[in-house]
Amino acid sequence: MYHFNFTPVFRKFPEILSGALLTLIISSLAILLGFAVGVVCALLRTNGPKPLRTLVSIYVEAVRNTPFLVQLFIVYFALPTIGIRLTAVEAGILAMVANLGAYAAEIVRAGIEAVHRLQIEAGAALGMSRLQILRHVVLPPAIEAVYPSLTSQFILMMLASSLLSAISVNELTGVAQLLTSLTFRSFEIYFTIGVLYIVLTLLLKAAFQVIGFASFKRWRRLGGANLVFAPVQRFRRMLESARNA
Amino acid sequence: MFGQFGWHAITLLLIAARWTVLLSVLAFALGGLAGFAVALVRTSRSPVSRTITAAYIEIVQGTPVLILLFLAYFGVALIGIDVPPLLAASIALTVFSSAYLGEIWRGCIDAIPRAQWEASESLGMTRWQQLRHIILPQAFRISLPPTVGFLVQLIKNTSVASLISLVELTREGQLIANANFRPLPTYVAVALIYFVLCFPLSKYSQSLERRLHVGRQS
Amino acid sequence: MSVVRAESVSKRFGELIVLSDVSFDVPKGRVTVIIGRSGSGKSTMLRCINGLEEINGGTLEVLGHNLPLPPRELRALRVEVGMVFQSYNLFPHMTVEENVMIAPRIVKGAGRAEAREVAHHVLDQVGLGDKRDAMPDQLSGGQQQRVAIARSLAMQPQLMLFDEVTSALDPELTGEVLRVIGSLAREGMTMVLVTHEMGFAKNVATEVLFMHNGRIWESGPPDTLFSSPETPELQQFLNAGELRE
Repeated sequence: MYHFNFTPVFRKFPEILSGALLTLIISSLAILLGFAVGVVCALLRTNGPKPLRTLVSIYVEAVRNTPFLVQLFIVYFALPTIGIRLTAVEAGILAMVANLGAYAAEIVRAGIEAVHRLQIEAGAALGMSRLQILRHVVLPPAIEAVYPSLTSQFILMMLASSLLSAISVNELTGVAQLLTSLTFRSFEIYFTIGVLYIVLTLLLKAAFQVIGFASFKRWRRLGGANLVFAPVQRFRRMLESARNA
Repeated sequence: MFGQFGWHAITLLLIAARWTVLLSVLAFALGGLAGFAVALVRTSRSPVSRTITAAYIEIVQGTPVLILLFLAYFGVALIGIDVPPLLAASIALTVFSSAYLGEIWRGCIDAIPRAQWEASESLGMTRWQQLRHIILPQAFRISLPPTVGFLVQLIKNTSVASLISLVELTREGQLIANANFRPLPTYVAVALIYFVLCFPLSKYSQSLERRLHVGRQS
Repeated sequence: MSVVRAESVSKRFGELIVLSDVSFDVPKGRVTVIIGRSGSGKSTMLRCINGLEEINGGTLEVLGHNLPLPPRELRALRVEVGMVFQSYNLFPHMTVEENVMIAPRIVKGAGRAEAREVAHHVLDQVGLGDKRDAMPDQLSGGQQQRVAIARSLAMQPQLMLFDEVTSALDPELTGEVLRVIGSLAREGMTMVLVTHEMGFAKNVATEVLFMHNGRIWESGPPDTLFSSPETPELQQFLNAGELRE
């Protein structure tokens, strides 16, 4: 009978935490850059000249219909043969940005297309330039509308960063693989890692809630009828009614 | 460019691709059955059942596929048997599919207006009759686009099984690239084969989605 | 014997009191019309009669059964009590004929031929015999509502409940629906209606209940109620023109 032994795991916790930190740093960078790429591509797709639109479509379809792992291998192993040599971390981030950019492009594009034509016409009637209309009238509501899908995709990308272990990056999964070869407590280690990823997911979700609150005035007006804060409010209200009963 | 990478390599890749297809179909079918059960329990009237399935979905969706794979691989090894990678990959991807499909189908059931529940309830139907005759037929129709979309995700995720040495398409690509030192054409070929598998399904999902909305506007 | 007997019925939604001390009686073969402002509790009262909402206090007896009932008895009661909704709620994936046939088949266990015969009969009754194979989205609002009435009639209920069934319809289409309901009344069907149609109420109702703030504020035969309202609230309601002539 196998005996579960988590002690070696706890002894190595500092290493595990540093792996988690690297995951967070890499993911945050990839999310920021990927989001920027996505917005630019979405704008090109909806407002750009035809050849650029086609180029973006090809990029998006190519990325979305091939596995991230293969994209990662191409960036890390294949690019050097045409002179582009990157470190594992650089390659990982580049692949993540390219991947996330394509998904974000589609999501933001849907948001942009959902902005009512009348809004754009109102902006034009007020004398705004095309760029001003995009920046003030189109993008903010577009991003607010697709914020849930967008943040879901960001979290998926953070989870996909686990594949960077395949090119020897010592993010969370990479550290885990190292530790299993040291301690042979494979199941316990991966179980702990799994729990940590769930914690990271919850952390990111909370962070996105806060960012949303800070960015979208409508959220503030609706008084936090949103995921993270609602349970807290409900709990507080329950305490109050219990106290007043 | 295709010097030491030739038709022989491409044939090897295509042969390996059948494991990709097999794994996808297996995980989709088994995960689909499990996912259907998950969706039904997730929408049941018991808050306990709903919470348990919600937690299951959150946990699986909050874990990277690679970790699910390692857990299946090392978890099964705990029983002491030698784990064939295909078994571990099937288990991991079935669990993965059950959570994602369960959530998708739960969303489709929730999308059916409460009025449909009330009308059928007022005619005296039991909950099972409501589901079987009124709710599920409608939910099925709207579930097609995201379900086909998920299948694409699944096919791509089978590539992760390469990391536990299942010789499917990606692993075969690795082996070939390590042998011929031509990673660029090799991995591009791998990507192309995935593209050929996934792109038609993606387009199909989009056309299903369009047809759904055209029907609604009449 | 009364078909519906309510005595001091009360109902709360959380902190909000929706019904309080509601008492009335609907004898067999009579038509009771409930009028009132939105929020007066009239729809809730109706929904309590077929168990879509549960009462919190008082007695509510429908066809001899005391609500609330356990699920099996409630279903049996619903076979005898037909309900037609404001938004028709037809099943969009079935033809008109299938919509009408489904409940007799799966709830009452009727055979296909028998159910079809009943369906044809009730569809003729509501004047839509020729629309048997149409899909709901091919019909006008008035036609859909008449199918909804036929669907309830196919169960051969002893009591029919109508919840603002013409409020969502264009004025031209309400006539066809009211005619059907009127003929049902003349054939002796016991009914409770929530409606804004004053002319209809005057012609068909045996008793009118005016609800205000969750209570029955005034009740009586339509002629006296509409021409000589006793309370200022009813006077205000009648003058506000919420009722259609």
